[in-house]
Amino acid sequence: MKRGDSLYRRLLAWLLLPLLPLGGLMVFQAWVDARHTADRAFDRLLEAASLSIAEQVQWQDDRLWLDLPPAALDMLATDAEERVFYSLVDRDGRFITGNAELPGDERGDAETGDTLLFRNVAWQGMTLRQGVRRSRLEDWRLRERFEIRVAHSREGRDALMHELLRANLAYILAMALLAVAVLVVAIRSALAPLTRLRRAIRARDPRTLTPLDLPLPRELAELRETLNELLARMRRVRANQERFIGDASHQLRTPLAGLSARAELALRHDDPARWRDALVAMQATSARTARLAMQLLSLTRLDNPEYRPELAPLDLNDCARQAVRDHWASCHRRDIDLGVECAPQPVRIRGIDWQLQEALNNLIDNACRYGARRITLRTLPHPPTLEVEDDGPGIPESRRLLVLRPFHRGEEGGEGSGLGLAIVDSIARAHGARLTLSQGPDGHGLIVRLRFSEENT
Amino acid sequence: MIRPLRWCLLALWSLTASAEETLHYPAEPVAGPPQPLVVHAALDLPQARPLLKAFHRRHPHIDLTYRNLTTLELHQRFLDAPDAADVVLSSAMPWQYHLANDGHAQPLSGDVARGWPAWARWRDELFAFTFEPIVMVVHRDLIERFGDVRSHGDMLELLTEHADALAGRIVTYDPVRSGAGYTYAIEESRLSPRYWDLVSAMGRARTVLADTTGEMLDGLEEGRYLLGYNLLGSYVRDAVADHPELVMVVPDDYALVTQRLAFIPRQAPHPESATLFMAFLLSEAGQQVIAEQTHLGAMHPALSGPGTADALREEVGDALRPISIGPGLLATLDRLKRDSLLARWRREFQREVPPLRLAP
Repeated sequence: MKRGDSLYRRLLAWLLLPLLPLGGLMVFQAWVDARHTADRAFDRLLEAASLSIAEQVQWQDDRLWLDLPPAALDMLATDAEERVFYSLVDRDGRFITGNAELPGDERGDAETGDTLLFRNVAWQGMTLRQGVRRSRLEDWRLRERFEIRVAHSREGRDALMHELLRANLAYILAMALLAVAVLVVAIRSALAPLTRLRRAIRARDPRTLTPLDLPLPRELAELRETLNELLARMRRVRANQERFIGDASHQLRTPLAGLSARAELALRHDDPARWRDALVAMQATSARTARLAMQLLSLTRLDNPEYRPELAPLDLNDCARQAVRDHWASCHRRDIDLGVECAPQPVRIRGIDWQLQEALNNLIDNACRYGARRITLRTLPHPPTLEVEDDGPGIPESRRLLVLRPFHRGEEGGEGSGLGLAIVDSIARAHGARLTLSQGPDGHGLIVRLRFSEENT
Repeated sequence: MIRPLRWCLLALWSLTASAEETLHYPAEPVAGPPQPLVVHAALDLPQARPLLKAFHRRHPHIDLTYRNLTTLELHQRFLDAPDAADVVLSSAMPWQYHLANDGHAQPLSGDVARGWPAWARWRDELFAFTFEPIVMVVHRDLIERFGDVRSHGDMLELLTEHADALAGRIVTYDPVRSGAGYTYAIEESRLSPRYWDLVSAMGRARTVLADTTGEMLDGLEEGRYLLGYNLLGSYVRDAVADHPELVMVVPDDYALVTQRLAFIPRQAPHPESATLFMAFLLSEAGQQVIAEQTHLGAMHPALSGPGTADALREEVGDALRPISIGPGLLATLDRLKRDSLLARWRREFQREVPPLRLAP
């Protein structure tokens, strides 16, 4: 994981990123507002000055006449000491008087009364705010139109604008800081349960598998439930393992105790014939024990979830024939009829040859052990299936699931270890095949069927 | 169309008719590389010389050229060649303000500019560096016969009661022919509506109208006039010192104060020298020279004693009304405003005078 990739930072970044353009927008809005407010406030000066000049415009000697009030000009300059310009023009736009020939304004007249127009103009390299007042003489008969143009430089407006903007920026900055602080606190508190969960997991004894029990928000509660399910599975697995180890040690202890007892009994006698009998018996027992240990070993290996052997293409017919070849001699000695019925064409699947051999060995062994007289191996092509049918006593339907568990024997006191079917079951699972036990065709005996999935070919 | 009028108005301003006078202070070779400085001013040499001398003593590496012009020539020359002068000094306040308002002046930075009183500067571009009250000059004969004249109120009373006795013995500026007189008239009419009563009383007393302070002082010294109204204080001091029968009166109800304005043109060829000169003009040392060696009136806030604004303020209290340096000055230059004001002035002046007796 690269540095900085944390939920906290990710949340903070995604929440703060939209705040940036928003803040920019607010600053821009504040600037526009401040400028507008400053202009509106100062435009009142232009309005008042132009009004007070307009009031002094008269008609005298057949022309426009103005007794300019100096106060009207003083009005246009604030503390910022703006430059001030004014002019009076007649209805034809002819300059009558003033200190600057200010430009006119193209915009039209107002509906009623005096027309007042404000705008920024560039004049001789200066930026001025100009107010134009169009008015008319209110004489008894004369209705002469005229226009007063007043303008001043923008220093006062800019100063007021900056003052307003500074105040607004301080406000926006305070809001931004508050928003960031709230965000940080909110994200921290939202992520606090995660920290709590982490601490709770870290503080646990690694051997305990008890469920986690701490109050968490919904999203994390799901995680907690998942963890608890995992823990429950682990608990079951461990219980299984413990039972398996218990059973295994019990299974191993019995023949070992028998060996020990037999040896002890034989040693009390001096007769070599007795010794020989004992040794023969001990050899049989130790052979059985060795086989048991091997089965335990292969079961442990098969049940190891980390063990994932490579599947290779093979032909079930070959497997069945090989198994018959391996067991034919021993069966023949015990007068058991071992046969194979192969499908006409090869039944191809992907699998592990030695495991399938092991499964067939176990099934043939079992059948022999439980007194079958005839054993038939069969392969079917669709779906790929491997069957072992015997005419032994069979297994009642109620116990068919139980016999798949390790150390469960079909009949108490039999000489099997009770691992055979469990091993077959594990192999079936490793191949993704279904293991079914069913009755033989004539109501007795047992058919063990391994049905592989079609995709496995 | 406004210009010709301004010219004739300005022509009327001149206090004394004078041809171009030039002073030149060459740079001292030992003081380092010479730095030229050209000052164009409407300030007579006797007043300017001590100031220039003191400046040159302080900055001997400056090659100083001083041209004394009439206010009209000064204005004309500036508009013809805005890059000729480094510093422009003039007593014609409206014209100086007009130039600065149109953006012809460059701002002066530094502590000197910032420390200058706000009411005596405009935008750090235009600086008032003198403080000259507009005064009355009273002949002792008049005081003996009619009593003290200390204010505009006293004068109005005197003119109302003794109009016939004083006929032809009062003198003041002709606002029609004198730019300064017109400026005072417009300022006084703004200060008080009773000004028009005074004008009409002066008309009744058949007051003589003069063009310059010098002309009025001549008549007063010769004894032709008993009272001169609205004379420039800085010129009166010398005359009063020489003629003990004359008394200078700073009116204690209100007294206009005119100020000379200085600025550095935006296109000044030697702005560094100009800045040095302005800094000296507004410094305590420069103002000290103005206070001690001229009659212009120093106005540095730290200075007090004879020849300073501070002393004048102590003398007449808060009656001093400096002409404010602001857009109101632009009204003075308005053609129609002038026509209106002078029409009113004539009307008031001739109101109670029978037309026959007005004929010269």
